[in-house]
Amino acid sequence: MIRRGSNKSKENPQASSIREALETLKKSTDFVFYKKERGNVPYVISYFSSIVNAEIIHKDILPYIQEMQQVKDLKEKVPIEEIIDVTQPKDLLEKLPLGYVYIYFPESAHLGVLIPAKKDEKRSIAPPEVEFSVVGPKESFIESLDTNIYLVRKRLPIENLRVEKITIGDLSNTEMALLYIEDIADKENVNTLKQRLDDIDFDAIGDSAYISQIIADNQRSPFPQILDTERPDRTATALAEGKLAILVDRSPHALIGPTTFIESISTFEDYLLNWYAASFIRIVRMASIAFSILITPIYVATLTYHYELIPKDLLATLITSRRVIPLPPILEALFLELTIELLREAGARLPTKVGQTIGIVGGIVIGTASVEAGLTSNVLLIMVALAALASFTTPTYQFGNTIRILRFPFLLFAHAWGMVGIVLAFSVLAAHMLQLTSLGRPYLEPFYPTRVRDLKDTFIRMPFSKLSRRPVHNQPDDKVRFKPKDKRIHRDIDE
Amino acid sequence: MTRIPERLKVSPFFAFYLVQAIQIGVGILGFQRLLTKAAGNDAWISILFAGIGVHVIIWMTYKILDKQEGDITDVHKILFGKWIGAALSLLLIMYLSLLSITILRTYIEVVQVWIFPGIRISLFSASILIIVFYVVNGGLRTVTGMAVLGVILPAYLLFSLFYPLKYSFFENLLPIFDHSILEILQSTKQVTLSILGFETLLFYYPFLKEARKSQKWAHLGSASTIFVYLAVMVVSTAYFSEEQLMRNIWATLTMLKIVELPFVERVEYVAISSWLFVILPNICLAIWAASRGLKRILNKKQRPMVVLLLIFVCVVSCTLRTREQVDMLNNYTAQIGFFLIYGYIPFLFLFSTVYYRIKGRKST
Repeated sequence: MIRRGSNKSKENPQASSIREALETLKKSTDFVFYKKERGNVPYVISYFSSIVNAEIIHKDILPYIQEMQQVKDLKEKVPIEEIIDVTQPKDLLEKLPLGYVYIYFPESAHLGVLIPAKKDEKRSIAPPEVEFSVVGPKESFIESLDTNIYLVRKRLPIENLRVEKITIGDLSNTEMALLYIEDIADKENVNTLKQRLDDIDFDAIGDSAYISQIIADNQRSPFPQILDTERPDRTATALAEGKLAILVDRSPHALIGPTTFIESISTFEDYLLNWYAASFIRIVRMASIAFSILITPIYVATLTYHYELIPKDLLATLITSRRVIPLPPILEALFLELTIELLREAGARLPTKVGQTIGIVGGIVIGTASVEAGLTSNVLLIMVALAALASFTTPTYQFGNTIRILRFPFLLFAHAWGMVGIVLAFSVLAAHMLQLTSLGRPYLEPFYPTRVRDLKDTFIRMPFSKLSRRPVHNQPDDKVRFKPKDKRIHRDIDE
Repeated sequence: MTRIPERLKVSPFFAFYLVQAIQIGVGILGFQRLLTKAAGNDAWISILFAGIGVHVIIWMTYKILDKQEGDITDVHKILFGKWIGAALSLLLIMYLSLLSITILRTYIEVVQVWIFPGIRISLFSASILIIVFYVVNGGLRTVTGMAVLGVILPAYLLFSLFYPLKYSFFENLLPIFDHSILEILQSTKQVTLSILGFETLLFYYPFLKEARKSQKWAHLGSASTIFVYLAVMVVSTAYFSEEQLMRNIWATLTMLKIVELPFVERVEYVAISSWLFVILPNICLAIWAASRGLKRILNKKQRPMVVLLLIFVCVVSCTLRTREQVDMLNNYTAQIGFFLIYGYIPFLFLFSTVYYRIKGRKST
């Protein structure tokens, strides 16, 4: 056999280099190289056992090969599409690690074929964990690209939903899908995003979060400029608004762009609740974000410089609580803020079962004890705890982290120049956010540039009958969602 | 005339904010004293006069610029030739730098007097100017964004005007026209410093989409400025006695002292702090306009020009130490600004009208 093979290689130099390729692959212990010498046609079969589904080999490949008379029968008989004829050794090196099975017939001049038999291990579709909602669908993306595309497509069963696949990463060979609805999504947006994806030059893409950071408009900004979500329903409705989505294989998060500041602090539940309730919760959430950033800096500013600001009744309370504190307000505040950050980080790193103790240690022991020991005032303790609570209301995890770090520069500015310092820090923040863009579209829209039409879905989420147009922000090709009914008809009483 | 790419332009509607934001600045914190000195209880009439004046000047400015569809450097170049034109533009740029120094230094003065007597002027002005650089670096669109914020965010302070009403005595306004027209006109001259800044329109005009349509917005912006000044003037005339107003340097701020809220005593502290939002776009717009002008006449990149201007502003603002110097600076700026808007712009308007009439006759 081998001799015959080597004889052949004199006629065909490719065959010997294929043999060399196989020798290289054999260095991995999970590589199977099996020669069947008896039977109708002798054959060689090889694959990576760890990534190949053995069931496919046994049910769909081997039975047909045993019955085969000629090589060319193979493509007709084996019930698997996408069988590839090997033309060069590169094919082998590329396809075998992806879960292909290589079959080769030593007696024929054919170089063999590659049959896909990929093992597809995945968890089942589970309820969303990060963006949980009480009402609404309980499905979230999983780590398989095909399942994720299915989850979106079943919500948008139309021919216009385009799915374009791109593979990125020299090492990770990550497959990604760009989703948009033709005739609705802006072509310029699609081209921008495609260009950015094509320009990615990174060896191993770990998750969709890598992509979102790499294609961000301004990588020096602390703000996430692409929205990530684990909810297929949110992705589908975003697509219907004319946005684009990226699904990345092996990642349970979709990326949505272009996005805005308002979108980062809204949840999908805002659309599931009655619009009064939804708007109320949204306003509470916005206020709590401002509160969580500003409250400790304001405490530091007033207690360091502007005692005059505090009304005299409140002043008594404050002075009693701060009378024994030896530290200046800034150190007191930094100490407590860092403690909260520590608790949060420790809680996130520890396994759930051990993590429960963190709440007790942090909340009761450190909090109460530091007040009793006279390290911090209990007024500040309440403020910091409230600020921490408020910061947990940010619905997107990535954005919540940004809010977490923003208060520290504010604290330092408050210490330096009191209230003026806080306004100074706020100006820097405002100037930064004014310049931010998401896929080239302004991040602070619809506040600046002011677009009155898009204000319908900001502080107040108007009822659906008012949302008859897609957001201008996405520059959709088709601007109208539905024609608003003629509202002129006002019926009189009992008519 | 260089074409400005569409993506760098702002909607005509923003002319409202751009005009209003730069007109309301530090002036409003204490403009009442000089007005009252000249016209007593009739000071509010002089604000109306100034309002009419500003509208005429804005109309003239648009008439000058509409013919060119370019900025003032283009106008100067065409009307006066390359060298004289450049010199005139340079004077305008120097005036804008002076304006930003005045705004910055007066604000620091307010902070010094009211909140931090010992603040380090150099460090504080440097921090503000770094923010200014960051904003101007983002181009006119970011500057406009700051202007929008500078109009909307501190707007809550208008509500504070309701508190003094309880202690007001509107008979103070009577008798109306107690002063001669000359006195009222003198007082009108004193309003000038408060409404300066809209001349930056001469520079950002080509950055407005469909610039001609922006005229009504510019007028509206200026009208709302006049309205705010009028309201503050009427309330303070009713709240203070004439004697008090003549002696009070920061009458508006003093008026804020009466505001009582359950959780904040001294609202003027909050007001002065948030006033930074108001003066920031002023400085940004002035510096942007000045650097844009330098770019046009020197054919250099704009960014180094911004840095140069900011360093200049910072150095000058640090050298002014005393209250008298700041007062003098304010007076000079008011004088030059008065000459500019009531002297130079009408002259330019007449000159360009005559120039184009003669040119039109020649071509036909």
